[in-house]
This record gives sequence, structure tokens and C-alpha cells, in this order.
Amino acid sequence: MKHFRLPDLGEGLPEAEIVEWQVQVGDTVDVDQVLVSVETAKAIVEVPSPWAGVVARLFGEPGDIVHTGQPLLAFEGDDEDGGTVVGELAKSDDEAGEDSFIVGAAASSRQARHQRATPGVRALAERLGVSLENMQGSGPGGLVTNDDVHRQASHQKTLVDAEPLRGVRRTMARNMAVAHAQVVPVSIFEDADIDDWPSGADITMRLVQAMAAGCQQSPAMNAWFDGDNLSRRLLAEVHVGIAVDTPDGLFVPVLRDISNRSSKDLRQGLENLRKAVATRTIPPAEMQGATITLSNFGTLSGRYASPVVTPPQVAIVGAGSIRQAVVPHANKPAIRRILPLSVTFDHRAATGGEAARFLAALIEALETD
Amino acid sequence: MTDVTLVEAVNLALAWEMEHDDSVVVLGEDVATNGGVFRATVGLKERFGFKRVLDTPLAEALIAGTAIGMATQGLRPVAEFQFMGFIYAGMEQIISHAARMRNRTRGRLSCPLVYRAPFGGGIHAPEHHSESTEALFAHIPGLRVVIPSSPQRAYGLLLAAIRDPDPVLFLEPKRLYRALTQAVEDNGEALPLDTCFTLREGDDVTLITWGALVQETLRAARQLAEQGVSAEVIDVATLNPLDRETLVCSVAKTGRAVIVHEACRSGGVGAEIAASLAEQAFLDLQAPIVRVTGFDTVMPYYRNEQAYLPGVADIIHAVEQVIAL
Repeated sequence: MKHFRLPDLGEGLPEAEIVEWQVQVGDTVDVDQVLVSVETAKAIVEVPSPWAGVVARLFGEPGDIVHTGQPLLAFEGDDEDGGTVVGELAKSDDEAGEDSFIVGAAASSRQARHQRATPGVRALAERLGVSLENMQGSGPGGLVTNDDVHRQASHQKTLVDAEPLRGVRRTMARNMAVAHAQVVPVSIFEDADIDDWPSGADITMRLVQAMAAGCQQSPAMNAWFDGDNLSRRLLAEVHVGIAVDTPDGLFVPVLRDISNRSSKDLRQGLENLRKAVATRTIPPAEMQGATITLSNFGTLSGRYASPVVTPPQVAIVGAGSIRQAVVPHANKPAIRRILPLSVTFDHRAATGGEAARFLAALIEALETD
Repeated sequence: MTDVTLVEAVNLALAWEMEHDDSVVVLGEDVATNGGVFRATVGLKERFGFKRVLDTPLAEALIAGTAIGMATQGLRPVAEFQFMGFIYAGMEQIISHAARMRNRTRGRLSCPLVYRAPFGGGIHAPEHHSESTEALFAHIPGLRVVIPSSPQRAYGLLLAAIRDPDPVLFLEPKRLYRALTQAVEDNGEALPLDTCFTLREGDDVTLITWGALVQETLRAARQLAEQGVSAEVIDVATLNPLDRETLVCSVAKTGRAVIVHEACRSGGVGAEIAASLAEQAFLDLQAPIVRVTGFDTVMPYYRNEQAYLPGVADIIHAVEQVIAL
């Protein structure tokens, strides 16, 4: 006989009372045909048949209590060999699994990576605020000793405590490290002759508008580049991040859609951003979404630079201090006002040609009145 | 390659060795006509005859002792105890005679025998059918204790155990008997004894285990990987003598160790491993060695079985503890 046991009817109920048999000995039943109604502590449940077959025996009368796992009824035929005389063995699904292993220890190319020190020494170091990282232990095999920790602690005392970076300065440190790790920077430098500018020309506005011309010439420079997936997004609108130096650190508010705005409108926008930065009221959203950056460090000092491209942007323009220089002009030496320019670009995302054409268009726009 | 379960791998190894070595005999309760309580010896009597596949009386001291007599006189007996909890009646023979025969006779006699027994819980069986008392045996000098945790290792290690010139207690995790199917090449190739097996490489923590809990431990390692914790998983496989070198090597790399076993905690093999790591890998440890084990109680009846057995969540919890340090 093939036994069908009372299955777990859910919620961990341990037993059920037979209410009424729906089949009799000798009946032929189909899969899912109701065999019996049982009452649990929660409800009356109809138990369906797991197999098709002929009922050979019913265990129990209406009113009897059956425990989960006890035989409920038997079908004709042989019980399947469960492979054990006590309990139940879990059966593997048909899928054959993989078994891979290494005999013994896995080869490790890595040295034990940690500083070797006893827990006592570690506790002392923590108490004295000494970091074991980068510490050269004087004990056997480079073991860090109590004396090493004390020595380091008194050494630290003579120095001022390190000041943890906060806020914008902290963000700058992180962003620069990421940029340095990812970007492949190339810089090119050239001067623009701006002697023909009318007096009082708005230098930043001229630069911003010239960048729009540069981007039009070389769309690859106004893009977002994804180094992980090696994909780029050429952007139609030019949003210029303007690097603003403050005592708290570097802010880069974004001047949006510069190609389609009037010079006056842009100037007003820039003033608003500068003011917001100065009063520290600039919302974070105003510092996101730049497609290219301008660092006008020339208002402070310096001629050329290799400013850092911040991913996902591809390029940054640096403008140095305007100076007077003797240069050839109309085939004669002349004293002219010269604006030095630096363009750094991520060579993963743009070619040297694209960058050079960008710079040429930039200069052309600056020199044309 | 054949896809087999662990118990089928045991059967394959027995059949291979009986086929290739006439001195190998199998004895135990119901091993011949019935094919064994868990079907590990199915078909062997039909193939090799009742002179090499012997049904014994229900007397474990006799099974243990008869095997010793056979072994010292040139046979290679593989004796089955139906459950680990039944071995105790044969302990006197195993400890006082099998384990020290070579030493006592100054090498004149040896005892190349294998005692096979299913061990561990998780199959809804009574308590003396479910326990894990491997530490009792791992303590005995001269007695190898070997525990496979997959069909491939069951096959390779059982062959090695039969070929070994000294007594081996071969404990089979019965919860795994039919729980997983894997491809095994029935080519008579043994795996080495006295070595651990590294099942998964990792950098952050070493999970050390054996027997059925290898499965839970591997599952825990996979879940930990999703949390960004890279766990090395080592199947100790031979509990006596311990392959301390592999364990120390791994813990020196990861700096953290969690030992997982189903047996009671106190005096368990985990304690021996923890002590060895503390002695030999002390300076590399970043956190205390933590054990995830069964409780110091008699294995409960099956309704509370799952509460007793260490699970994936327990292992992950322990790892989180040591990773936090």
C-alpha cells in the first residue's frame, strides 16, 4: 500500500479532526479530487488527493483526530522507497549541481594584509588615538609593540591634531580624487588677443559665450561620459559650471543653457548665483547638471593651468590673468592685451582634434568683436 | 560522469573497491539482503555474494570487534553502524583495540578498517538517530575521523578511507544523503585524507565547517557576498588529524574565523579548531573566533529540530558580529 499522510494544512497546525470522508475504499480517484474534509483549529479544510489511484484503506472515522504526518489513507500499490526507516530524507531536485573545490588551502598571492599586533596593543592604540595603519612595528616580524604605540602617541602630541575636512572642502577632496582616478586629462594652451575689446567688457560673459561657440564647433566637448559602460551623451544645451573660490572651499554653481540666453540675462543669473554662494544659500540643485566648466582663476593670479575635469563632464576651460604683452600685430610689434587660455579634456571622451578645434573656435569668438 | 546523490556515491565507492580489491568486505545490520537502512549497500550482495557482504546480528560490539579481527588478519572490512547513536555499544572495541592495535603490537598488526555511520539531524528522526558526537571520536589518537559533504567527496574520501592502512571512522551526513545530486566520475580515484577542502575563496572572513552544514554555510556565504562580505568556506573533512595548516593559512589571510558545527558546543571539535587558531594565527586575528553550533542539550525531538540546528541566519549573524570589529 502507498500511504498518504496528513499534510501540514498551513500555519503549523499540528492536528485535524476528520469530518467526513469523500471517498470510500475501492474508489478510483484523480489527482486533486477531494478525499476528506477535516476540521482544524481554524477552519474546515478539504484535502485533495496528491495522486491518482485506487483507495485501499481509510485510517480513521469521522470524529477521529489525525496528527500532521500520520497516515490518512492508503492507495493500492507500493509505497515509494524513502531511503530510510526513520524520519524522512530530503530529496534533491532533478537538477545536478556543480561541486568544485580546492584540496587544502586556496593559494593567496596576498600577504596577510593587516598590521600585526596583539589585541592588547590594539586596545592601547585605540585608547591613545594612534592608528596602526602605516606603522612600522619594531617587534619580531614587524609586530607592533606597546612601545611603538607609546612612541607614536607622544609624537602625535607634539603635532597639532589633524583637522577633519568638512562640508564643501570635504566634497572637493572626494571629487578631485575620483576625477584624478578616472579621467585621462590632456591640456592645451593658447592666448587670445583681446585688445580690441571695448573698455568695460564683461570678461566672464565673453568667455561663457565663446565656450558656447566652441561647443558648437566640437559637440564632443559638451557631453557626459560614462567610463564604466564606455558610453557618452552629447548634450544639446550648454550648462556652464562656474568655479567660484570661497574661504570654505570650491563652489561650482551652474549657469544654464547659455547658448539661448541674452548676455544681460546671463550676467544677472551669474550675479544671483555668486550672491547665493557668498551667503551660503545656494540650493544643491543649482550646483548640479553642468556640461562643461569654466575656471576663471585669472581674476586672482596665474597664467596657465591644467584644471581638473570632473566626471561625467568632458572638458574644462581655464582663463588666466589678462596681461599686456608685446606681440606681433599687423606685422609690427605692438603692446596688446592678452588673455591666456587653458583647455583640459578627458581624452577617453574626446580626441585631440576635437579639443583643438574647440579651442580655436573659442579664441575666434573671443577675438571677433 | 554519473549524476548521483551522496548515498549513491557511497555505494559506487564500495562497489568499485570490492570489484578491484578482493580483501574488501562489507558487514553490518541489514546491509546484505535489505541493502542497508539508508540503501547505501544496495546491490552489493547480489554482485559480490554473501561471503563478502554480511548481515550481522543486532550487536554493535560484535560488528566493531569482528571488523578488527578481519582487519588484523588481512581483510579490509567496511562495517556499517545504522546510526551514529548506535556506535556507543562498540566503543570499547573501537577505542581500546582498533585505534591502538598498531601501537600496542609495535607495528606487527594494523587495522585497515572503515566504520561507516550516518550522523546528524534534520530528517525528523528520534534523538539517538540524529546526534553529532564526532568530537568523542576525534579525541582518540589512532582513529581517523572523516566526514564528506558532497557526493564527490563521499566517493573520493571513502575510497581513501578503505585504502588507508589504519582505522577510519567515516561519518556520513544523512541529511544530505539524497538532498543533492552531483556529477561524480566513477573512476576509482581517491581524494586525499587529512586535508581540508576550500569550497569558496574569500578575503573578509573564513567560515569553517563540515558535514551537512556545509550547505547552509555556502548559502550564507552567497548571501554575505550580496552584502559585500567576501567569505572563504572551508570543509574540514578530516576532523582527526586536523589539517591546521590550511585553517591557519586562510585565517591569516582573512583575519576572522567563524566555526559552524551541528554538534553541541562544549568540548566540540570547534573548540579544538578555535584553540589552534588562537595559538597559531593569534597575531592575524582581527576579531574573536566565533562558533555557531548546536546547543548543549540532547538533540530534541523533531518538532524542535529546526530550533536546534544552526541555520543560515545564525551564520550570517555571527559573521556580522566579527566583521563589525
